Amino acid sequence: MTGTTPEPSAEPDPDPTGTRPPAIAVENLAKRYGQVRALNDVNLSVQRGEVLGLIGDNGAGKSTLIKILTGFIQPTSGRILIDGQPVVLSSVSAARALGIETVFQDLALINTLPVYLNLHLNKELRAGPFLRKSLMRRNARSYLNDIGINIPSVNAEVAQLSGGQRQAIAVARSVYSNANILLLDEPLAAMGAKEGGIILDLISLLRGRGDLSIILIAHNYSQVLDVCDRVALLQHGGITFNKKTADTSAEELLDLVANEYRIGGSKAEGRGSFLTEIRDARP
Amino acid sequence: MEFNEAGPAASRRALLRGSALAGGGVAAALALAACGSGSSSAAAASGTGNFPATPKFKFVFVNHVTTNPFFQATQYGIQDACALVNCSYQWVGSETSDVSQMVTAMNTAITSGADGIAVALVDQTAFNAPTTAALAKNIPVVSYNADVTTNARLTYVGQDLYAAGQQMGQKIASLFPSGGDIAIFIATPGSLNIQPRADGAAAALKASGKNFTVKQVTTGADVNPEQSAIDAFTQGNKSFKGLFAVDAGSTQGIANVMRKYNLKSQGYHGGGFDLLVPTEQAISDGILDFTIDQSAYLQGFLPVLYLYLYKLSGTLVSPPFTDTGLKFVTKDLVAAYLKTQNRFEGSAAKQLYLH
Amino acid sequence: MLSKQRIPGLAGVSRTLLRMRELSVIAVVVVLLLYFGVSNSAFFSSSNLGNIANFTSAAAIIAAGEVFLLVCGEIDLSTGMTFALIPFVMMSVNDHGVPMFFAVIIALLVAAVIGVFNGLVSQLLKLPSFITTLGTLYLLHGITLKVSNNFPRPAPQDGFLMKILGVGEWTEIIWAVLLVTLMQVILTQTRWGVHTIATGANTLGASEAGISTQWVKIRAFMIASTFAGFAGILDGTHISHSFDPNAGGNDLMFEAVAACVIGGTALIGGSGTVVGALFGALLLAVLQDGFNIQGVSATTFIMIEGIAILIAMVLNTQLGRLRRGVKEG
Repeated sequence: MTGTTPEPSAEPDPDPTGTRPPAIAVENLAKRYGQVRALNDVNLSVQRGEVLGLIGDNGAGKSTLIKILTGFIQPTSGRILIDGQPVVLSSVSAARALGIETVFQDLALINTLPVYLNLHLNKELRAGPFLRKSLMRRNARSYLNDIGINIPSVNAEVAQLSGGQRQAIAVARSVYSNANILLLDEPLAAMGAKEGGIILDLISLLRGRGDLSIILIAHNYSQVLDVCDRVALLQHGGITFNKKTADTSAEELLDLVANEYRIGGSKAEGRGSFLTEIRDARP
Repeated sequence: MEFNEAGPAASRRALLRGSALAGGGVAAALALAACGSGSSSAAAASGTGNFPATPKFKFVFVNHVTTNPFFQATQYGIQDACALVNCSYQWVGSETSDVSQMVTAMNTAITSGADGIAVALVDQTAFNAPTTAALAKNIPVVSYNADVTTNARLTYVGQDLYAAGQQMGQKIASLFPSGGDIAIFIATPGSLNIQPRADGAAAALKASGKNFTVKQVTTGADVNPEQSAIDAFTQGNKSFKGLFAVDAGSTQGIANVMRKYNLKSQGYHGGGFDLLVPTEQAISDGILDFTIDQSAYLQGFLPVLYLYLYKLSGTLVSPPFTDTGLKFVTKDLVAAYLKTQNRFEGSAAKQLYLH
Repeated sequence: MLSKQRIPGLAGVSRTLLRMRELSVIAVVVVLLLYFGVSNSAFFSSSNLGNIANFTSAAAIIAAGEVFLLVCGEIDLSTGMTFALIPFVMMSVNDHGVPMFFAVIIALLVAAVIGVFNGLVSQLLKLPSFITTLGTLYLLHGITLKVSNNFPRPAPQDGFLMKILGVGEWTEIIWAVLLVTLMQVILTQTRWGVHTIATGANTLGASEAGISTQWVKIRAFMIASTFAGFAGILDGTHISHSFDPNAGGNDLMFEAVAACVIGGTALIGGSGTVVGALFGALLLAVLQDGFNIQGVSATTFIMIEGIAILIAMVLNTQLGRLRRGVKEG
């Protein structure tokens, strides 16, 4: 989030599949907080059935972008389009109504409730005033089976699950709510290989379904390449890199992000570090 | 210190005066005040009654259990006296017998220039320094309801708590001529407004020479569990045929429990303190033997008059020691109490002429 | 040991029982009952059981509402004062000519309004409920003294309405059991209960899921204060047949909260049991009654009661840990 002018947008969006518009797209999206430009002319789109990995340094604006797409905050300017139609995401419920579901890092799970109630949170099935617990349990079990999440019991309190299982439940809950577009904010953060594997498997499975569009924020670039169709780099408030994962590599991504701050500059025109200034200032 | 057990024919007014008004000066003051707002003969603009104009005195009453219903009657007495002599009052202190709270309240009264202070001396030493300080600033101090003789107060108005307990003990001894097991129920042991009563009763029973086993039983300060506690005790300790209490709530509890199990017919005796309606009703119905009226109304009414006259006369009219009396309210006396709720008992705010 | 699938059959039943968080407090109550029963022959007499019921009821009714509040992460410290005030509101309204039935309804509505007040102030002004209800506590105490002229008054005893509102012999404990059952069902079998648990366990997460956490909490405040007011009417009518401005108060509030905690409701919120709170209140009642019937000396009594509560709590939490099998790592 700086005051400098960003790179012009990188290469335009990839060839769409057929003539179908992207499931979700943002055009010239900007968000300013007073003088500070958090986002500056972001152009991005995700096709139906596509998984987009969004990478970028801390503070590049990834969280802001997610919050806008969730409906949590409003953009200063620019457009959001869903299935080619411009929309206004005035609130979280409005975004949800359009099929956008987000899984934040805090997971928003209720630790003291069992898995099946978490899956149905605020969408509980009832007979009159009473909960239809057996029905919800059955639904939960079959649903988790469908998407290949292996939990010993849907009656288990969420607190008793491992980190990976919890994340999986959180993702499952979002998908269960008939989401079309899924935003995952660092789902692999603070997770070991085994736990992370559960999530990656889940994302792959969801990708295979073909009806969901997923935007995935991550820092582990090799994992990202594994499950994503495309990778986009958010830098200085704009998208400076956008390629199919098949056409890039982990090294290239690392290079892009890390070198921004090294002496000698980087592919993207950066500010240069303070060391550069010292070097240049020496008599 | 003797008490007068007034005969059945005594009128209400006589009961109120009791044996307290030994001092003729006070009787005269009351008569003058009762004259009403007749025109003053003196040249100065009129004060109240026959009295000349004075600044509107403010008297501060420091109390140890400010929300206790016993002292509601005291507050009514203060209000009525203040209305008579055109003064104002403040009712301060502690809800929970916290002496340091009371001392702070008293000191605040002194520094804010109260015209007179009345304090319940519930601690042996804590109030002595503030009293001396007040007197040094020409603020008269009297004590009421509880007294400490080493304190420099001008006088004491009330019936001593310990002495009242002793009277009850003697009464109990007369009800059990051959001794017995006696339970003394106390809401909050150690509380300065009731513990002395219990101690006095126990001491009197011991001094009676008869074979008494006295057990002090805690009931708690909350009136409903209090009754359940008394209930439980009586059911589990059937040898204790004497059920007596030193606070209003426990007394009411005894009355209700004796009524519930019809204990009077099984040789039980019960009694206690203060004038809650269920207590009075039980006495009237022959279920409870007695309750003790400690003239709470007078303990507020008289100090106000004493302080006023002391200020008015520039210390010439010195307040006398006043025993506000203790009355055993038994079945033959209780009818008057039950007739209607009134300010004198604290049970209603309405001004009434009872006759 | 954790999250095993429930196997139908006898093994499953015992496992289910062991999983009941209420089991530990029930066990302690049984132990105490046996101890006092053996020590005193009058303990199991009908009149003494009536006393135990009386000791239990007020705290249990208040606890039934307080559990809901604790579960969603809040607390109401003013319930003891609402307990004292509402009977006087009822009598005042009746004094003005309103028939007793409507006077009761109006008084309970006033209690609900107190709850709404507590809820709005704490939620909208973002004050911790501890602070808010501490303020309300003093305010209500003062109002009660004023409304009652600082003097107790007899509770009405006649008529069918008063019979079911406390005059009838076991009415207070029956109401307590009914209300506890009702709230337990609501907590565990309805959406309202799930949302309350969610609000307490993860307020942010619950609101992200679309639950109106503020309204969940305000509703809980309303329940707590309404139950407290109702308990005040029942208790005064049933036991001492009089309403006292100093009845209940902070001691009763602490007893109700202690009953909740002893019964297995966490102070931090997110989980709770109303049935457990009933047994918690019963535990405290058995202690109090048992000591009374033993004739334990006045000054020793308070000390022993404190120690006994601590022991009961320790036993309870240890049994609870055993049941849960604390997860390592």
